[in-house]
Amino acid sequence: MIPPSWLHLAEPAVKRVGFTCLHLINFGFAFHLFKENVGGLCFMAGPSMLPTLDNSGELVLESILPHRLFPNQLGRGELITLTSPVDPSRIICKRVIGLPGDVICVDPTGLKAHSTEHVIVPKGHIWVAGDNAAWSRDSRDYGPVSMALVRGRIAARIYPLNRFTVFSKNATYIEH
Amino acid sequence: MSLFPKFLKLSRPLTARRVHSATNPEGSFRRAWASIGRPLRWIYWLPLGLGFTQYFYTLKTIRGRSMQPTLNPDTSSWDDIVVFDRYSINSGEPIRKGDIVALRDPIDSRKMLVKRIVAVAGDVVKTLPPYPDAEVFVPEGHVWVEGDEPFRTLDSNKFGPVPLALLDSKLVYIVWPLDRIGPLRPTISPVSKRGVSRDFRWYSDMAAFKREQRRQSRVTTRTLDDHVSVVT
Repeated sequence: MIPPSWLHLAEPAVKRVGFTCLHLINFGFAFHLFKENVGGLCFMAGPSMLPTLDNSGELVLESILPHRLFPNQLGRGELITLTSPVDPSRIICKRVIGLPGDVICVDPTGLKAHSTEHVIVPKGHIWVAGDNAAWSRDSRDYGPVSMALVRGRIAARIYPLNRFTVFSKNATYIEH
Repeated sequence: MSLFPKFLKLSRPLTARRVHSATNPEGSFRRAWASIGRPLRWIYWLPLGLGFTQYFYTLKTIRGRSMQPTLNPDTSSWDDIVVFDRYSINSGEPIRKGDIVALRDPIDSRKMLVKRIVAVAGDVVKTLPPYPDAEVFVPEGHVWVEGDEPFRTLDSNKFGPVPLALLDSKLVYIVWPLDRIGPLRPTISPVSKRGVSRDFRWYSDMAAFKREQRRQSRVTTRTLDDHVSVVT
C-alpha cells in the first residue's frame, strides 16, 4: 500500500519552475552568443587610449561579426578589441599600427626601446599600440600579436551623447 | 461502466476525421504551422545547444598525423573522433604540462591545431631545429606546445610561445575508433613483472613513457619570482 502523498500536487509547480529555468538559460546563452559573435555595447575603462577614449564611463559599440566574416579586412589606424596576450581573461582595446610584412619602429618615443630599433611584423600577426604611449602596455612590451586574438572593431562611441563618434579608418599616409 | 478507466475513452470518435482542404481555413493554417512552426520551435532552443558546444563540451574529428601515435596513429585507418572540454579552459583552470589542447593557429587564425603542452609560463625550453634560439624562456601568460611527432608538426618550434588566450579546449576522451575508446590516460611508467607477457600495449606504453621523459628532459622549471615584471 502506497501512503497518500502530497507530491502529486507539487509536481506541476516543480515542472513549471524547471521549464522556466530552462527558458532563462536558453535566453542567457542566446544573449551571450550574440554579444560574443555579432557585437554589442560595452563599457571602457583604463587610461591607455586616453585622447581617443576616456578613462572611464564611456559606452562603445563593438562590432564583431564583420571581423568574423572577413578577418583580412583589418586596416592600419583602426580601433580593435583583442584578448590580452598576457592575461586571457582581459579584453583590451588598441589601435592597429602595422599589418603583416610592415617594418615598424618599436618605440618612436624611446621609452621602452631605442628609437632606432625596427622589426618586421610576421605573417598572421599585427602590431598594436595604445594612443597614450606613456600609460599603455602594448606591442612595445609583448611584440606583434596574432590576428587570432582579435575580437572585433570599436565601431562607435554611444554614451556621452555629446561626444558621439563613429570611428573609421583614419590613417593618413605621408609620402616622402 | 464505471469499471472502465476514464482515460481509455477517446476524446473524439475514430470516424470523425479532420478535413484538410483549401476551403477549410483552419485546416490550411494547421498545415502551414506543421511545415513552418515545428522547425521554428527547434530553432528557439538552438542557443541552448550552441551554448553547450561553445562553452562546455564538443565532439571533433582530428585530421593530420602530427599527434601520432597518441592520436591518429599510422596503424589506424580512421580519423579519431574525440571529446573536447571547453569548460575547463573557459573557467580558467590552470593548465598542466602533458595536456593535449586544441588551439587556434597563431599564423592562420581560421585553422585549429591539436598539440601537447610541453612547458608553461616560467619554464625554460630547449628548442628543436626550426626555432632560431637554442633555449627560450616561456613568458607570463604563454605556453609552449608541440606535436608528439617532431617531424610532421607545425608547433611552437615554428611560431614560438603561444598566448593562453588562443587555447580553445582540452582533449578529455577518445570516442572513435573503438579499440582506443576511453579517457586520455596520463603517461605512467609501465610495470614490468616477471611472468607478465609483454604485449603490444606494454610496448606502446613504454614508448609513450620514453617520449614523455624525453620531453621533460628538455624543460627546466624556473620559479616566476626571478621574473616579476612591474605592471604599471
